[in-house]
Amino acid sequence: MAMSDAAFTRERLPGAAAVHFRPVTIERRRVRVGLIVVSLVFLAVFLLLPVVAVFVEALRGGPKAFMDAIFEPDAAAAIRLTLLVAAIAVPCNLVFGLAASWAIAKFDFRGKSLLNTLIDLPFSVSPVISGLIYILMFGSHSLLGPILKSYGIQVIFAVPGIVLATIFVTFPFVARELIPLMEEQGQGDEEAALSLGASGWQVFFRVTLPNVKWALLYGVLLCNARAMGEFGAVSVVSGHIRGLTNTMPLHVEILYNEYNFAAAFAVASLLALLALFTLIVKSVLEWRYADEIAATRRH
Amino acid sequence: MMNAITPVVTEDSIALGLPIDVSIENVVKAFDDTPALHGVSLDVKAGELVALLGPSGSGKTTLLRILAGLDAPTSGRVLFDGSDALGLPVQDRNIGFVFQHYALFRHMTVFDNIAFGLTVRPRASRPPKAEIRKRVLHLLDLVQLGGLEKRYPAQLSGGQRQRVALARALAIEPRVLLLDEPFGALDAQVRKDLRRWLREIHDRTGHTTFFVTHDQEEALELADRVVVMSKGRIEQVGTADEIYDQPASPFVFSFIGESSLLPVTLVDGQIQLDGRPVGLAAPQGQSGTATLGFRPHDIAIVQDGGPAISGQIIAERRHGARRRLELHVGAEAHRAEIDVPADQGRQIGSQVAFRPNHWRIFPA
Repeated sequence: MAMSDAAFTRERLPGAAAVHFRPVTIERRRVRVGLIVVSLVFLAVFLLLPVVAVFVEALRGGPKAFMDAIFEPDAAAAIRLTLLVAAIAVPCNLVFGLAASWAIAKFDFRGKSLLNTLIDLPFSVSPVISGLIYILMFGSHSLLGPILKSYGIQVIFAVPGIVLATIFVTFPFVARELIPLMEEQGQGDEEAALSLGASGWQVFFRVTLPNVKWALLYGVLLCNARAMGEFGAVSVVSGHIRGLTNTMPLHVEILYNEYNFAAAFAVASLLALLALFTLIVKSVLEWRYADEIAATRRH
Repeated sequence: MMNAITPVVTEDSIALGLPIDVSIENVVKAFDDTPALHGVSLDVKAGELVALLGPSGSGKTTLLRILAGLDAPTSGRVLFDGSDALGLPVQDRNIGFVFQHYALFRHMTVFDNIAFGLTVRPRASRPPKAEIRKRVLHLLDLVQLGGLEKRYPAQLSGGQRQRVALARALAIEPRVLLLDEPFGALDAQVRKDLRRWLREIHDRTGHTTFFVTHDQEEALELADRVVVMSKGRIEQVGTADEIYDQPASPFVFSFIGESSLLPVTLVDGQIQLDGRPVGLAAPQGQSGTATLGFRPHDIAIVQDGGPAISGQIIAERRHGARRRLELHVGAEAHRAEIDVPADQGRQIGSQVAFRPNHWRIFPA
């Protein structure tokens, strides 16, 4: 019936068949193909090619040279230090980020917008400046430096300085993931839990935290990737003491400056692997828990 | 599926504390110096179902949140069965609160949502697992959701979420049940079913219940008593009949049902509009300026030229079985509405004279 109607209409309006209808939000085929090609070429040249280059250069000397470069004592020390710094900085920022987001999203207080702005400070300040701040605060010509030194605590050109600089630079990652989500979710769930008799900690662990756990995990993954890869701020406070205060990115630079390209790229490939690993974990989690993630949005 | 919601009558009814009286004494709430409640007082008997009715900004939700302990009043007292409730934190107040947007825990199943209030209890007063399970499944039957305990809130319809929220609130055996716009987010048919169903649940469980609504039909149909609120004050408390037939203020008159209000003066026992009598007698012993209120459907057209209210028709539209005329009345063109039979269409711009059959005078 509908078919014959359509045929009838077409017969009566011969011009109508020539009009080509398409949904207004779908672009023409040429435009679509063009956009896709541009994106792919851009990605290939600026992202894929460099990553491939890193691995090609790293393995140029063969697997033996690769292994030697990684297990050489200074390189191994750099890897250990990087892991140590991340192991301290990431949990710190997990707690700080959660506390700051909680405060900003769930409470009204004076200076809330100031705090919100301050959280972004590490994003807007050059990492070099972030490092210099700590030299000014804890260096040998500062007020605090000599006092701490008299107690045998060295901050600058030592591990504590590197940890501080890393925490500073990576602070926003967790908070920036959590604040929009927590603000969107509001306080309704918390109020409901309280009215049902839950204590403050029960509300936090059974309602608030589960509601933001995916965003929190993303934040931690990004925070970790940046903590391990941070160069600028760490470079300023580290002092580049081989085997003692060199992190992986600093070690890569030293090797490169010594024209030891194979070793430099070998260590660099580890950092690249870390980045890939982070992305893969994130994607797998998104795919595996898609339903649950969708359910934690407002229904 | 939603059309036939009737509670399943089971042998073991929901275990309950005895319903309690609630007294609200001169409660004031100020937000940043703007008062949201100006000295509200209300006594509610045990087991009563009370509607807090008013437009948005009338303070009804604020009052409900104060009862729950989610907000604290600036001054005043709230008594549960004669003892102070304001000193109790929200957790210890033992109220069941159903939120406007349900606030179901989205990462928990329906079962875990309903069980939440029991599982967070300290070990000493927490029922054993089997007991919790029994009680949750019983509540699910009560709210007609048996078999859905493994679903997540996102997998439920609005009406089902609403019922889960109610079951969750009932699980803690509350002393008072508070519902904030319980049907606000549902479509019309589901609202009607749930309304009747809530009344039946209330009659079975007997909680002292407050619900907030801006829907007068809902309030008048469901509640034992209706508390009409406006601008942070209680305008009137009464049964549906009292609110509708004996409105205490022009606000109640205009908020409940359809109405027209006109400023009049009372002179020599006569109601006058613009200095001319309109053929209505003023209440005994009243004089001066006042507000005349009447219902659009409750008027008679006057064609003999006698004293009446006359106005110019500025619009007309079909209104159910009748035709509604919108008028400009008097020198200041006050707006009024009257109904005439549907077949009596009239010229826009022509004059019409009428007298209300029933009317109310509110002294200024």
